[in-house]
Amino acid sequence: MSFKRIRAILLHESFVTRHSFEVVNDIILYPLLQIVIFGFLTVYLFGLKGRLIGEYVLIGTLLWQIVSITQYSVSVGCLWDVWSRNLTNIFITPISVYEYFGAYMISGILKSAFMFCLAGILSYKVFHFDVLTLGIVNVVLFYFNLVIFAFGFGITVVALIFRFGSRISAFAWAMIGIFQPLMAVIYPVSVLPKPLQIMSYLFPATYIFEAARKTINDHLVEWHLIGTAFVINVVFVGLALLFFDFMFKSSKKSGQFARLEG
Amino acid sequence: MDILSVKNLTKKFGKFVAVDNISFSLKEGEILGFLGPNGAGKTTTIQMLLGITTADSGEIRYFGLDFYKYSQKCLAKLNFASAFNNLQGRTTIWENLVVSSLLYQVPNYQSKIRELVSYFEAGYLLKSRYFDLSSGEKTRVNLIKSLLNDPRILLLDEPTASLDPDVADKTLSLIENLKKDKKMTILYTSHDMSEVERICDRVIFLSQGRIVAEDTPFNLTKKIEMATLRLIFDAPKQKIASYLVAREEIFEFEKENVVVIRTKEKLIPDIIFGIKKENVWITNIEIEKPTLEDVFLKISRKKQL
Repeated sequence: MSFKRIRAILLHESFVTRHSFEVVNDIILYPLLQIVIFGFLTVYLFGLKGRLIGEYVLIGTLLWQIVSITQYSVSVGCLWDVWSRNLTNIFITPISVYEYFGAYMISGILKSAFMFCLAGILSYKVFHFDVLTLGIVNVVLFYFNLVIFAFGFGITVVALIFRFGSRISAFAWAMIGIFQPLMAVIYPVSVLPKPLQIMSYLFPATYIFEAARKTINDHLVEWHLIGTAFVINVVFVGLALLFFDFMFKSSKKSGQFARLEG
Repeated sequence: MDILSVKNLTKKFGKFVAVDNISFSLKEGEILGFLGPNGAGKTTTIQMLLGITTADSGEIRYFGLDFYKYSQKCLAKLNFASAFNNLQGRTTIWENLVVSSLLYQVPNYQSKIRELVSYFEAGYLLKSRYFDLSSGEKTRVNLIKSLLNDPRILLLDEPTASLDPDVADKTLSLIENLKKDKKMTILYTSHDMSEVERICDRVIFLSQGRIVAEDTPFNLTKKIEMATLRLIFDAPKQKIASYLVAREEIFEFEKENVVVIRTKEKLIPDIIFGIKKENVWITNIEIEKPTLEDVFLKISRKKQL
């Protein structure tokens, strides 16, 4: 593991971000816009009487940004090189896949942490909702669980793109959205139909959103939910890495990896 | 010790055999031309040599090390440039080169970049985005990238495609210098046979995934017996025509006083003296000896050498 090579990819990522308005739009403007829209929606629908439900929606929206920005950072970060036909230049250097994804995970952590802070300030200033009332321990535990989940999801998407080519590149930003309704981001799992509830509990993020809603009520650390999320996260990321390894190898075997750019 | 040694390398895509049990090696400081028509298996072989496509069977060794076992060690000492693969288009040339240098952990990378940029006269490009460059400029930048880590072996896939003649000539000179000064080993593909004849010590011809010829450019051209003889003469053309018909030579008259004869190289003196004996005054003699281009065409058209 070389920190220089990780630094190289982080630098590369920062250069691409600096030159790409789309990235700034996707990881700064769009998430803030979501906070504003859902914030005003909760004010309109629930007013001061339904403040608690409004807070459920706001905390779900805020925490969801951690998932979407980290996942975007891992998946789309890699796509910039596919679209530029530059992926070969990176993978013919001594960089390992772990260094490559390690860099994108760090980048995802930095971006989502920055955005979570920014979105937190916005929701406090505009909607008088202070995310820190959840307690700093809860915020940190929620944050890292969601980052781990998003990282696992991100590399699963990259594995699919490596194997099946850039024709499925829309998965990089759309696939997480397909599963979002199952993760009970802004509503409790109990509102889902029974079969969907079972599926919902397969996602580690579901436990975090449930824990966040409970915490708003009792201000406790929901160790059981957070611990369950963490255990499923470990299994999920392990499986995602194995899946990536399998898909990466079969992509190199089928010649798809070298053709990705062409 | 061989810098690169390839043994029984095979790659199939379904039923199609892209590379069929090829073996070759490169010694330190050697430039090997890797030639063949489109679809011969050159690109697939290079992809396997870079580790971005996995071989079905066979062995690749760099510096004596098994490439699949010690890929990081091997990749640190090799590099690749192609006219057909790009750097990150949205970022500037400087940014691209800095990232590549850090990936190869190049010491004093800023001065290394400046040294190479100055050699390729690409200083004015440093602040430009890669997307905005012309094809020739992109090729030059790709070459700069490929030399950042002072590779012991360099894989060059048509590096002079889209370069203007001046820069192409400078590139070839640079390659010659790399071999002379640094004993760099180079695997070189090109469709320009004059380039290959100029810089390659040895060439391998691939056809349908197999090595069909391997030798020095000189020896390969010697295997083609036919040459072209062009004579300008001062006599009635009928005199020459009857002589050549009698000898069963293949010929045609370009003009009333110019004949072009396709014949075996070793028969050329006979023909010239024979025509002289017919009292024909020859005013000019041009002999076009077989070139690597002829070898390439023969192999592409699946004729025996």
